[in-house]
Amino acid sequence: MEEKPQYVIEMRNIVKDFPGIRANDHINLQLKKGEIHSLLGENGAGKSTLMSVLFGLYQPDEGAIYKDGKEVHIKSPNDATALHIGMVHQHFMLVECFSVLDNIILGDEDSHGGWVTKKKARAKCEELMKKYGLEVDLNAKVSDISVGMQQRTEILKMLYRDNDILIFDEPTAVLTPQEIENLMKTMKNMAREGKSILFISHKLNEIMEVADTCTVLRKGKCIGTIATKDTNQQKLAEMMVGREVHFTVPKADAKPGKEVLNVSHLFVKNPYTHKETVKDVSFKVHSGEIVCIAGIEGNGQTELVNAITGLENVKKGNVVLNNIDVTKKSIFTKIKNGMSHIPEDRQKYGLVLDYNIQQNMVIEQYRDKKFSNHGWINFKKRKEYSDQLIKLYDIRTSQGSETITRSMSGGNQQKVIVGRELDKNHSLLVAVQPTRGLDVGAVESIHKKIIADRDKGSAVLLVSLELEEVMNLADKILVMYEGEIVGSFDPKNVTIPELGLYMAGAKRMKVDENGNSLGEGVEKEVATLVEGGHKNEEIK
Amino acid sequence: MSATFILHQTILCMIPLMIVALAGAFSEHSGIINLGLDGEMIFGAFIGCIFCRFMVNGNVLGANTATNQWLYILGMLIGAASGCIFSLLLSFAAIKMKADQTIGGTALNMLAPALVSTFGLMFFNSERITSGGSFQLSTSTYTNAGLTGFVDAINNNSLLDFLFNGIYTSTYIIIILFIFLAIWLYKSKTGTHIRACGEHPQAAASVGINVEKMRYLGTSISGALAGLGGFIYIATQTGTEAENSVGGLGFLALAIMIFGNWNPLWIGLGSLLFGFLKSLAVVYNTIPLLKNLPLPMYFYNLLPYAIVLIVLIMTRKKSGCPKAEGIPYEVGQR
Amino acid sequence: MKKSNKQVKRLFSAPADGLTSLGSSLICVFIGLLVGFLIMIFASFSSSLADADPLKGLGYLFSGPFTALDKANDFGNMVFYTVPLIFTSLSVAVAYKTGLFNIGAPGQFLMGTMCALLVALSIDSTSNATQGVFIWILALVIAAIAGILWGLIPGALKAYFGINEVIVAIMTNWIAANIFTWVFSLDNLSFMVNKPGGKSAYLLTTSSTGNGTPNLGLKALTNNSYLDIGIFLAVVIAILCWLLMNKTTLGYSMRACGLNKFSARYAGINDKKNILIAMGLAGALAGLGGALYYLNPGIEIQYQSVYQILPDYGFTGIAGAFLANCNPIACIFAALFIRYINASGTNLVSVGYNRYFADIIVAVIIYLAGFSNFFKGLLIRFKHKDRDAKQASSLYEKILVKGLKTKGGNE
Repeated sequence: MEEKPQYVIEMRNIVKDFPGIRANDHINLQLKKGEIHSLLGENGAGKSTLMSVLFGLYQPDEGAIYKDGKEVHIKSPNDATALHIGMVHQHFMLVECFSVLDNIILGDEDSHGGWVTKKKARAKCEELMKKYGLEVDLNAKVSDISVGMQQRTEILKMLYRDNDILIFDEPTAVLTPQEIENLMKTMKNMAREGKSILFISHKLNEIMEVADTCTVLRKGKCIGTIATKDTNQQKLAEMMVGREVHFTVPKADAKPGKEVLNVSHLFVKNPYTHKETVKDVSFKVHSGEIVCIAGIEGNGQTELVNAITGLENVKKGNVVLNNIDVTKKSIFTKIKNGMSHIPEDRQKYGLVLDYNIQQNMVIEQYRDKKFSNHGWINFKKRKEYSDQLIKLYDIRTSQGSETITRSMSGGNQQKVIVGRELDKNHSLLVAVQPTRGLDVGAVESIHKKIIADRDKGSAVLLVSLELEEVMNLADKILVMYEGEIVGSFDPKNVTIPELGLYMAGAKRMKVDENGNSLGEGVEKEVATLVEGGHKNEEIK
Repeated sequence: MSATFILHQTILCMIPLMIVALAGAFSEHSGIINLGLDGEMIFGAFIGCIFCRFMVNGNVLGANTATNQWLYILGMLIGAASGCIFSLLLSFAAIKMKADQTIGGTALNMLAPALVSTFGLMFFNSERITSGGSFQLSTSTYTNAGLTGFVDAINNNSLLDFLFNGIYTSTYIIIILFIFLAIWLYKSKTGTHIRACGEHPQAAASVGINVEKMRYLGTSISGALAGLGGFIYIATQTGTEAENSVGGLGFLALAIMIFGNWNPLWIGLGSLLFGFLKSLAVVYNTIPLLKNLPLPMYFYNLLPYAIVLIVLIMTRKKSGCPKAEGIPYEVGQR
Repeated sequence: MKKSNKQVKRLFSAPADGLTSLGSSLICVFIGLLVGFLIMIFASFSSSLADADPLKGLGYLFSGPFTALDKANDFGNMVFYTVPLIFTSLSVAVAYKTGLFNIGAPGQFLMGTMCALLVALSIDSTSNATQGVFIWILALVIAAIAGILWGLIPGALKAYFGINEVIVAIMTNWIAANIFTWVFSLDNLSFMVNKPGGKSAYLLTTSSTGNGTPNLGLKALTNNSYLDIGIFLAVVIAILCWLLMNKTTLGYSMRACGLNKFSARYAGINDKKNILIAMGLAGALAGLGGALYYLNPGIEIQYQSVYQILPDYGFTGIAGAFLANCNPIACIFAALFIRYINASGTNLVSVGYNRYFADIIVAVIIYLAGFSNFFKGLLIRFKHKDRDAKQASSLYEKILVKGLKTKGGNE
């Protein structure tokens, strides 16, 4: 007797091994029709792997997948799409030089005798855009549009293929709080229309808000599945990490000393698009203080940091470090004058992956008398230094200082960079997203080290996309929106939702040259012509 | 000297150059760096040449020289097929074995001349293989074919003279092929898939495109075009004699590809410019203004290269280089 | 699971590089020779090679110059011909380690030759041997400078304008070739042409001015071959290059630029400076190669045809560099190996084959050299015949192939 299938997707006893790692260890997952089901876990828990198995990017070593009660074999994304399963990846799968429309129809283009025809596709896209409230510019090149629009393109990609089972991998990482709300609404809409949604997240508040069910994974194993109405954030967090979570790191009050970094009226222009990415930014960072720049990715923080550190050119304005104007000076000069930089992209900028640890440890100081002798490398001193730092920063290695950094895990690679930047002589630490992609233990350890650096007298400029990290570490918060500083706050006197409003440009306040607030924030008036020409007062 | 002659010289140089540059672009758009263009040209030329020689010597199907354009076309097809097969060495190494593509291309460039010299000496007692084929279209071609009316028309009309006298069928074939392939690469379904694989192979895979297959296709088309270009080169510029070199044309085509920013339109224009400048070296003696200058032929020889350099310096723009080229595709790499 | 993860990583980081690299190269050579042998067998069935003996041919393949009628002479010549190849291999290797592909070696080779000959052929030292040596040294220095300047053209255009060095180098190759013939065709320099010898398409050799490379008895030792002290110079310079790249701070920064130019910039390394130094050095090396070759008193150059054909040494240098995995000291052996096989090839004629069979073998070996990651993986798997090994070799492969770490991800 065939039972009516309860689950639209069931994954039974899934096992997936990679060399040396069991990423999924006999995991069971059940998804009901019209359900929003979240997958919760730390980095490396196996969430992305499990979803990649469902989407056909990987083949499970053991276990089976059932759709509507029938066993299916998903050998490739093609098979998944044929079963109406779609996925929006964490790192967007978009071809940058193609248009939005071309990306939506990629792989599935209508064609006439081999030549691509787009009329039908365009009409269908416009219909979907209206139905689900997803706004995109079909003709724009993906490299020219915002991250939010790129994500909407990815969602349209799924809807275009009539996918009923939608997988989202960390969808809110790059969205404004308002865009996150929109996404939540869209997801609830889609669920109501009968779509079943799986989304991967490590953000507890989002899961509590939008998901019906939550499956928690830890180190490849399934810890449990629970309905969100039967639990709370604290319980979920404990399931996720398996121990008590400290939401804050102990931090003494800041004791700001002399001025170390003075950024004044800085303007940066993108050399390719000629767009002004940083507009008239001014602030100061003193020794013994952590100033944190908060904001959604893409609002000029990257360009601001690159201009300060020297990776990008400054159009107008000044950067003064320890009373020396270093605006147009080389990166080498800035480093010599006391700058340390933990870069946003550890593999692209922070490390030469094919060098070993000791070679990477001295990359800024290799010419110093400490490590060289009239042009000849002093290998002994280098190794000593590197061994020292490995111990001090608890870097896990297979071959000590000789370990090639490419073979190390992300967390340990970051520790190498953090160790290097904190240990060398510096008066300014610029840290961008220093804990991205790291597990809770590593995050805590790096937070502690940054605070310790501040207490030693460094001026710290922190740029972070994680509001929790911002609130935890900052002594002063500066919010950036569209290249400008739109708010300055004391973390003790502001809430995350309030910050979110500034980050989305809904509110702004006047900020002086020191980066201090000049008064209360005001809600920005936005003129949107709606039928009768009435202005819309607020963006919510 | 007539403008016709200069134009013919320009075209002579431009045609093989543009098709081989397009060959390079095809491969790179799919994500594989094809440095072996030179080798593929040599190999395609060699096999095509042997084929023609065999046909002519054996008088197969009445084949003899200039009257048989069908022999020329067959030769071109054989040249293309050989180049395509030869390029499989590169695509196999790059795609399946994830080898360094620079090395693979270099190996092809060394292997082709070695094969040509070895087997040339072995079977034909010479490092330079003649084929007895000569495919230039001239008034005598038409006379021999009995088209005397056409010959009269040519002699009286300079446009017809330019279009049909002293030129090769390959010229028209290549121009049409070039335009077709350029449009195909950008507007067809398969062409779009190929380009996606060169820009963002993971994205292509995630929508079900078989990246390996597309890369094989791109590189094979590349090899075919290079082999075709090689055969046409020897047919139009060395009297259809194959040897172990094509005068570095493969590398020059690579340069034109980069100069044209991987874009067919600019590749075509770049080839035209280069062809024109090269033709100056042949005809400058006949232009009184230039003849009177104390500049020897070496100056005109190096002029095209110098001008390319100058243009490059003046127009440094954003590279159109396909983002994922040269990086072996790894399934599951996120 | 954690334990085997560690084991696996240790396997990878084990002395994988030195010994397995050598092992991988040996596999390439072995397969190359095997392929060559198979081709020789098949070829011997064809009527045109009726008297070809494949077994003897295989023996000849292994014997290099030692099957020639005049063994010492052939050996000496083989070593002599290795000299320019070592230099051009070094040229390509040094540039490649810095992230640049020096396809301009032929042009730099020619510029070095040109300047060296201009110096060496214009001053008469036939009556003063000491002066001859000084002029010879001067010629080399000028050649190196010429090579530096010629290498700086693609270097500077890349560093300051971001123009792809491959296209610039291809252009400069042909410009150099034309300049070469142009210069020596000038009337003022007609005294350098071999008119009295009746070979007016050739330049005089340096024996006519006494400024040629000394040979310190090597010539007599090898039965009047071309061998001169150039080989010592080549070896010394190769060692110096190795020391530079691996033991000095400059080499460290050059390799950092080659491995990750973003990281190098971030750390304050002046990548523009490193590009210039690398290309300048590469140019100097190629230029020296050309100079040393043509400064030999027995070698003459057909200047009239230079503008049409680029010197083969410039391109074979690429093969040598890759065969050596861009290690300067290995370049010596790679170049020697290539010339050894070439010598075998020449001697193959006496067993019924032609001399190009050897070229096929070298090309196949270079082709296989591209599979080094695959062979290294095989070797590691063979060395550790247990469950971890399969994981090890595929992990090794994955890591070698640009790593499997995502941006910001843990595995």
